[in-house]
Amino acid sequence: MTETDSPAAKTVYRAVDLKKEYDDGQVPALRGVNFSIGQGEFVSIIGQSGCGKSTLLNMLGALDRPSSGTLEFQGTSICELPDEAAYRAREIGFIFQSFHLLQTFTVLENVKIPMFGQPWSPKERDERALSLIEAVGLSHRLNHLPTKLSGGERQRAAIARSLVNRPGVLLADEPTGNLDSKNAVQILDLLCRLQEEYKTTMILVTHDLEVASHGSRIFRMKDGEIISDEQTGEERS
Amino acid sequence: MNFFTIVIRGLTRRPVRTGLTLAGISIGIGAVVALVGMSNGYESSVSNQLDVIGIDVIVSNMEGGIMPKAFDASLQDDFAELPQVGKITSVLMQMLSVEDSPMMMVSGREWGGFTWDQLKVLEGRMPSGPDEKAVVMGRLAAEVLEKNVGDTVFIEIDEFEIVGIVDGQSVVENGAIILALERFQEVSGYEGRVNFIDIQVKPDLTEEEIEIMCDRIEELFPEGRAVRAGEVVGTSQGFQIAKAMSWSTSLLAIIVGVLGVMNTMLMTVFERTHEIGILLALGWKRRMIVLLVLFESALLGLLGGLVGVGLGAVALTVLELMPTVRGLLEPEMTPALLIRAVGIAVVVGVLSGLYPAWRSSRLTPRLALQA
Repeated sequence: MTETDSPAAKTVYRAVDLKKEYDDGQVPALRGVNFSIGQGEFVSIIGQSGCGKSTLLNMLGALDRPSSGTLEFQGTSICELPDEAAYRAREIGFIFQSFHLLQTFTVLENVKIPMFGQPWSPKERDERALSLIEAVGLSHRLNHLPTKLSGGERQRAAIARSLVNRPGVLLADEPTGNLDSKNAVQILDLLCRLQEEYKTTMILVTHDLEVASHGSRIFRMKDGEIISDEQTGEERS
Repeated sequence: MNFFTIVIRGLTRRPVRTGLTLAGISIGIGAVVALVGMSNGYESSVSNQLDVIGIDVIVSNMEGGIMPKAFDASLQDDFAELPQVGKITSVLMQMLSVEDSPMMMVSGREWGGFTWDQLKVLEGRMPSGPDEKAVVMGRLAAEVLEKNVGDTVFIEIDEFEIVGIVDGQSVVENGAIILALERFQEVSGYEGRVNFIDIQVKPDLTEEEIEIMCDRIEELFPEGRAVRAGEVVGTSQGFQIAKAMSWSTSLLAIIVGVLGVMNTMLMTVFERTHEIGILLALGWKRRMIVLLVLFESALLGLLGGLVGVGLGAVALTVLELMPTVRGLLEPEMTPALLIRAVGIAVVVGVLSGLYPAWRSSRLTPRLALQA
């Protein structure tokens, strides 16, 4: 068990002896993980398939609950958040390997979806969505359905969607996993640029070392544990 | 785009399934409108008839079904002696198959009684007396049987001359064949018997005095009932059975509609588990997911209700033209009935969506995303 501390000032996430087990303890996914991540950091989590990195990301996104241990977001236990939905809507943005766009909605509509139920006026929704779609270079695909987009374009739309509520944290699960190398490079560059521009904390899960190297820190995971925490010198914030 | 865009998009993604579900609800609501419209129409047609004739109290044995049981006509003499009675007359009314019409009202009326008074001769004349083997026909009855003055009509096995076409100022009267009581008693085998005694009370009687008269009549005729004209339909066993049947059939149609919408919404929730997972991951509250499902099912109900009301209106129009119905009753489609039908459809939609909505609210985001 390795404890990894954030070199940055304000702690966004802090995990202490975090464990996750499935099937009544038969399948341990996380075996006591400790770390802290500071605001504005770009942390890559790398490891082989099944090492627990996606499980960890799901817990950071409050999509799953720890079996034991502590996981805090800005000093509050994720399990004790007063409103998990509000946390997911306002504090974090999710980027998935499979994009997870809604197939019957256009790019513009997909980007606006997370804003429903949030205190944005219709005008603000439009302005915010359009500006992000422009930022990811999809203005010409505004009214296209996801089925009419290439893989790279779909991920750009998903990135715009993840940022639309101005979250402080971006959680990216293999964001280039379904893309060819050219699109993968473009998406990574875009993520890095937006992370710098919006000063977000980025936590990116990947099995690809080259992708992971874009982060300022790299957590290496194996068998449900963080076995190393490396600074890459890629300071972005 | 607003929340309702998302609701509508949910329904339009499977147009065939949505269309079939809508058809199911529409047929159910159409059945409600048609059956209740018929039953209400019967009620108001009969009430209107009694009103036009000017009957205050009607004496009958309502346990006979659609038409009351016949009883001894001499009871009229006993009732006539009551101090509250102004005018009194007897009627023998039966629903019979007459020539090409499977069901037609035939009304034998005491000659000289006040029930003849409101009949306006449109063509021909009234019978010259109780002995003339003649009838007058309401204008709708004449239309249905395609008869004119001078033709003959068979009632049971006897042939009668049609001496006049009359306007009885109500659907029931206009759809009837009217003849002298004695003639009808002869052909129907009910000699000396009637099934209605109609009473006009003396002017300026209080409600209490009328009630006293009714009570006295029921003492003289224990098997019968004396009821105010406005209460006749409600106390008729036949009408109550017909009304119960119309609502029972409507209820069955509604249950089928509920199951149809519930099935559709459950399929929708199952199919969209992944999509619901995405929405939860993006920060949608469970309450919003529940509302999304409920609004979709309510919208299905509303649209089904609106189409169903249209179908019901068409069904009532067609029924009104059918020979079995024409002249017997005027189907009634009031705004209240239409609003109630649409309201039922929306409630059906919401109720049908409750279980699917509950299912959707129980989804775990992580597992839903993996679906």
